[in-house]
Amino acid sequence: MQTKRLTRDAMLTGVALIIFIVEAQIPPLTSVPGIKMGLANIITVYAAFAIGPADAALILAARILLGSVVAGNLSTLMYSAAGGLLCLLAMLGLRRVLSESQLWVASVIGAAAHNLGQIAVAVAVTRTPALLAYLPVLLMSGMIAGLFTGLCAQALVKRMSRK
Amino acid sequence: MGNEKVTLKGNGRRSEPLSGKIKFPIQTRVWIGTLAIAFAVCLAAAAVVWLLPGSRRVARVSVDGAVVREIDLSAVTAEGSFVVEGVGGTNTVTVRPGGVCVSAADCPDQVCVKRGWLEGGAAPIVCLPHRLVIELVSGGDGNALDAISG
Repeated sequence: MQTKRLTRDAMLTGVALIIFIVEAQIPPLTSVPGIKMGLANIITVYAAFAIGPADAALILAARILLGSVVAGNLSTLMYSAAGGLLCLLAMLGLRRVLSESQLWVASVIGAAAHNLGQIAVAVAVTRTPALLAYLPVLLMSGMIAGLFTGLCAQALVKRMSRK
Repeated sequence: MGNEKVTLKGNGRRSEPLSGKIKFPIQTRVWIGTLAIAFAVCLAAAAVVWLLPGSRRVARVSVDGAVVREIDLSAVTAEGSFVVEGVGGTNTVTVRPGGVCVSAADCPDQVCVKRGWLEGGAAPIVCLPHRLVIELVSGGDGNALDAISG
């Protein structure tokens, strides 16, 4: 069973990493710093709901670490790590409350939590509280992106359970 | 159960027969409503931030939290540029009467360049890779925000 778990988690990490790297090649859509689709989060949402908290955390941590090595740098690692941690905590907290058909809600709130973590790091790094001015726009984009990735993850969970 | 044509008198809600319309369970509708309200609040906040009247006329350029240059934009008469040494790269800052922008940068994402001219509003120009921030502050008297960020 351990081998099966390791293989499954490694495969999901690989899938998430590929999505992350491909998305990193796309130039930023807007002039607002920090806005992106966050498609790799589809895997995190799927793992958090279909597998379990520990596996989701491992897959997310591995993806963030490897992702910043392959497609980013140390500063992107800080933003991803803070955002990813908050996002995961928010989603795992909502896991007990939500039914499978409401999975997208966790993704939307998780994305907003990600934005909060991200901007907190940005404010701390640049020591500029004025960056908080970007928070409403970031939250809006996060909610839209989170809705999309959440619906994708929900469809994924539904299909994977139909064996 | 949900597909039966029954009327629940107790709570005033009816479970309707299958029609073409998608009907969400009550809990999902509450979530949709809550998130829609949150989105609307963000939209309103974003509008306020962006449309904030620009009475602050001093452009403050900081790198890694330290102020490197302050330019009174109302005193600028002609367009001019200078290079700012950021963390791990440089940004070329251009000023013109009443406005400031990053005209060139060797950062990977170019978000600061695409941001364009900063002439008002509360959202600063930011180049996260180089830890460079250009914000508008009111000159002289200094408000609470200046006290924190300065």
